[in-house]
Amino acid sequence: MIEAEVRSSRPEAAFVLLLLQAMFWVIAGISALPFAIAGEVFMIALGAASILLGLATLLAAIGVLWRRRISRRLVIALEVICLVGSAIHLAVPIGANRGLVSVMVNLGLPVAVILLLRKPKEAFS
Amino acid sequence: MFDISPDHAIGIYAGLVALAAALLALRLRPGRRGLPGTVLGASVLLAVSGAIHLGLITTHLREPVTVALFLMNGTGYLVLSQAYTWRWWRPASAALLTSTLIGYLIYIAFGFDTPDQVALATKLLELTALGLVLVPVRGERDRPRRIIRWAALGAAVPLLTLVTTATVWIVDLARPDATHAHAGAVLQQSNAVASPDQVAAAATLYAETKAAITPYEDWHVAWAAGFRPGPTNMPSTHWINQHNVNAGYVLDPAHPQGLVYANTKHGPVLLGAMFQMKQIGQFGPDPGGPLTAWHEHVNICVTPFGGFEFSFMTPMAVCPIGAIDLTVPAMLHVWIVPNPGGQFAIDIDSAVVKNIDRS
Repeated sequence: MIEAEVRSSRPEAAFVLLLLQAMFWVIAGISALPFAIAGEVFMIALGAASILLGLATLLAAIGVLWRRRISRRLVIALEVICLVGSAIHLAVPIGANRGLVSVMVNLGLPVAVILLLRKPKEAFS
Repeated sequence: MFDISPDHAIGIYAGLVALAAALLALRLRPGRRGLPGTVLGASVLLAVSGAIHLGLITTHLREPVTVALFLMNGTGYLVLSQAYTWRWWRPASAALLTSTLIGYLIYIAFGFDTPDQVALATKLLELTALGLVLVPVRGERDRPRRIIRWAALGAAVPLLTLVTTATVWIVDLARPDATHAHAGAVLQQSNAVASPDQVAAAATLYAETKAAITPYEDWHVAWAAGFRPGPTNMPSTHWINQHNVNAGYVLDPAHPQGLVYANTKHGPVLLGAMFQMKQIGQFGPDPGGPLTAWHEHVNICVTPFGGFEFSFMTPMAVCPIGAIDLTVPAMLHVWIVPNPGGQFAIDIDSAVVKNIDRS
């Protein structure tokens, strides 16, 4: 029988989603590096920035797991930025990918993290 | 990879129906009280994944092995989605999710299926479910084996995410479908073999274009005509005439939207012309049939840094920070130097550019 005390497991669920999001950024960062080798020098910076963002997200996720209030705020801010950016990006007619996975990763995942961390605030110290 | 296979579309509907049913089933079960939300979340995701697998059976009836695997997976997921109070629920769910993820990768690696949006979305749900199954929650009772679960979560989820993404990407690049001439480029569809009329039309287009752009062999003339170079840190550079782009000329040899120059030690050497449509998603007229098929660059990550550098969007639809994914309007190149790929090929052969640079 799997049981837990009456405590929220929202931070743990948010941690799992943030872990996936961090991995997506790290993979995007790694994927930019071959283009840098092919002569697109700025892709080195973009790739490195993506990998660092992935690692920073992972650290923030660990902070969420430890119920740190600052981590919760940072993560919500990050997800709001991602959400607004993605919504604008998908709305403008530049032929951005609007596939199922794109919507799930770029809209669904930030929304889920924000909803998970919206409450209970008291759980965070 | 970024499309939905017609025979996979039913999986979306099955998944949506299962989502509603799983949420309702949770509400109706009194046993859910006292359980961590992560367990309940995993239960819903297992139900959705199971329904997608079962839904796909209806469109794969001629593939007995695939049907058997879908049936096993779907039934297993559905049973586990409702067995979350079972003592061995976590190990059983983790084992089924992991084996399904690995099994799918082997399946596509051997060419039994091609990755599409439904498959990728399902893998995303399975990875999330695996994380929710494994993650220990504060205050759990009954020997939760926290250290083992943390170790499994920390290793399995990142590793499986990386391996899944990499395998899907490699398979997609190695075995592009008929519409993808090469990575990131969708080719205009036409008849398979050019008719004599189409061969003649292609020859006329080539001759007219070559005659029209020959003056631009002197790049100063091109500059004076309004052509401006893009990034010059590559072996070749597209010079774009913004007036011709804005004017919306369509396949007009006298008004190409761009010129392509090799960046050599002697200075820019003209390689050919580029015609481009004004609107995204529209291919231009195709007088030479398969010989003059237009192509469209889709799902590329473009950054303004370095004068519009680019990379490819990952299968999980993410670009590097500072780049956004977009689609470039359809284009057709006309190469006036000998190109092994042909006079209207998507790319100029890199060996051609190297030879020009050496000469």
